[in-house]
Amino acid sequence: MADGKPTESSMDKVWKFFTSLKLAIFVIIILAVASIIGTIIEQNQPLEKYRQFYSDGTIRLFESLNLFDMYHSWWFLLLLVLLTVNLSCCTLDRLPRTVKVVRNPKTTLDENLEKSLAHVGRWKKKGGMEGLADTYKTAMGSAFARPRVTENSGTLHLYAEKGVVSRFGVYVTHLSIIIIFIGAIIGNVFGFKGFANIVEGQSVRTIPTRGGTNQVDLGFAVRCNKFRVDFYPTGQPKEYSSDLSVIEGGREVLRKRIEVNDPLQYKGIWFYQSSYGSAGAASATVAVNSPEGGRMETFSLAPGRKVDVPGYGKVSGIDYQTDFQGLGPALLVVLEKPGQPPAEFWLLQAYPNFDRQRGDTRYLSFAGVDQIFYTGLQVARDPGVNIVWVGCTLMVIGIMIAFFMSHQRLWVRLSRGGDGRVEVVLAGSTHRNRLAFEKKFEKIQADMRAVEA
Amino acid sequence: MLNVRLFDVTTLLFGAASVNYVAALYGKRETLARIGTWICIVAAVVSTAALGVRWAESYRMGIGRIPVTNLYESLVFFAWSVNLFYLVVEWKYKSRTFGAFVIPIAFGTMLFAFTNESSIQPLVPALQSYWLHAHVITCFVGYAAFAVSAGVAIMYLMKAKREERKETGGVVALFPSTKVLDELVYKAIVWGFPFLTAGIITGAAWANYAWGTYWSWDPKETWSLIVWLVYAAFLHARVTRGWHGRRAAILSIVGFVATIFCYLGVNLVLSGLHSYGGA
Repeated sequence: MADGKPTESSMDKVWKFFTSLKLAIFVIIILAVASIIGTIIEQNQPLEKYRQFYSDGTIRLFESLNLFDMYHSWWFLLLLVLLTVNLSCCTLDRLPRTVKVVRNPKTTLDENLEKSLAHVGRWKKKGGMEGLADTYKTAMGSAFARPRVTENSGTLHLYAEKGVVSRFGVYVTHLSIIIIFIGAIIGNVFGFKGFANIVEGQSVRTIPTRGGTNQVDLGFAVRCNKFRVDFYPTGQPKEYSSDLSVIEGGREVLRKRIEVNDPLQYKGIWFYQSSYGSAGAASATVAVNSPEGGRMETFSLAPGRKVDVPGYGKVSGIDYQTDFQGLGPALLVVLEKPGQPPAEFWLLQAYPNFDRQRGDTRYLSFAGVDQIFYTGLQVARDPGVNIVWVGCTLMVIGIMIAFFMSHQRLWVRLSRGGDGRVEVVLAGSTHRNRLAFEKKFEKIQADMRAVEA
Repeated sequence: MLNVRLFDVTTLLFGAASVNYVAALYGKRETLARIGTWICIVAAVVSTAALGVRWAESYRMGIGRIPVTNLYESLVFFAWSVNLFYLVVEWKYKSRTFGAFVIPIAFGTMLFAFTNESSIQPLVPALQSYWLHAHVITCFVGYAAFAVSAGVAIMYLMKAKREERKETGGVVALFPSTKVLDELVYKAIVWGFPFLTAGIITGAAWANYAWGTYWSWDPKETWSLIVWLVYAAFLHARVTRGWHGRRAAILSIVGFVATIFCYLGVNLVLSGLHSYGGA
């Protein structure tokens, strides 16, 4: 293996490159800048729209750089891959060292360590070393954490630590990003997103996805039984909802009224209330009554259609007003009886007996207008979404551990001085939040100096 | 409406507090700063009451919902958060000099709110969700923390420049030491970052529940990610590269500019799902 060494060093270089913070910062900055560009150039718009803003040359340039669908372009995904590789390499590079520090803590305070620490206090005490060690052990235990005692050629060492877990916060956070990416990839590969418009009373079994180029078979049917929309007095929609049934094997297996922010889920497929619209013109419901007031029949009156009422005449609706002369909704109908000129008259929804005044053999009443709607449903299956939520939860936990906790360590060394007194050295370190630790250290030092053995 | 009048009073209070804090710095009168603090406490009480009254009034109008759903409401809520976050910092760090740099942010926000439509509007169906509460509150605590960090970063830059030139005296003499300022720039971001993270996550969870997509590269989402990346870069540079002082302070200010753009710029300049927030 003569060329073993150069290969190793170039491998080292590659490894150094992928574990460097510079790469991380570089990727983060490029991601941020690219994301900004993506919010300035509107994404996924029709070509005509781009023509209004850009010249043909600019459009060609942007297209070759995938700037119109940037977040799904190969180079943006490459940046995300680079970030993931960087994160993974940094973890593989640093985690073993952290584990080592945590598993083999330095439990004795030697001169080198003492010099490297920022917080050090020294004092002398009269009395026996063991007794003093016991006192300090209790003091540290109550003010900080229970120390371990090590004896080393006539010197006593006390070591205590707190918040070891905070060393791992950064790994939890980084792992969470990778988990989120994994969840996103699973969702993209094994899931689908589509849209369905279902007219009231009708059902669908397949959902078009990817802009209609693909059809997904649901394996069951979804029927829209009824759609409802309520408005604020201002005319703005207040809420809209669809009464949906899931039909599988010819049976209704699930029924739910969904609204915006309250979807239906069946077998991992979610149906979200997204939009609505009218499916054709409205029809009016009209009832035929005997002069005594008995209801004889009701029929539905669609615009431009004549309905034959047996033994009476033909009825058609020619106008509808939501508020007729302050009397509320009203329908203008035409009645054609054999051998008579057509008669035109209004029916008032709020006054069902209004038509009695004609004094005919029948009178009509208007029960309201029925608008047939279609409901617009967003349909999605995302088997990765729960993995994404696990990642998100871990991310928040990881950040909290990493920044609100710190790995704090205290050492005490007791040795017999030349004057017969015990020389005490207290030293401390923290890997984060130094100012807070400084105060704590000063307090512990003051307390320990004050106690009498 | 009573709530709007109370918010107008809050605006005046923030104005008065800003004047007091700035005058205390230049006139070297601690008494003025102490008055500033008391005005801020009163402003906190009045604005909290105003939010409560607005909430109650929306119920009386039959459209009851938390008052954080349009630009006016989000602005007053932002000012409310900044003021509270500031009061905590002032109390913890025992220095009133921060007020001159943070409370004017709250004052400016309230002035801007004053120019916007302040009536209580009904909610479009997409916003009628419990996620709204968690999403808005976490985001705004984050924004408020970043505002405090940027205000302190300006103080740091002023003081560091003076010290570099070996000049003594001047307003910066009253500031806490550069060490404390630097630490606070970092600390405020450490508080803001998890809240921003939680804000983005609750937004994603909500979007998923309402539309079936947790991330769609909508401009608001994308800008929140940009802000997140800037502060992530800040924290990495600080913790692993030891970025302190000037560079950290500048990065904090850059982060806050990005935050402002994410919060306001996106609604005013770009279009997307959150555009109703700017209506």
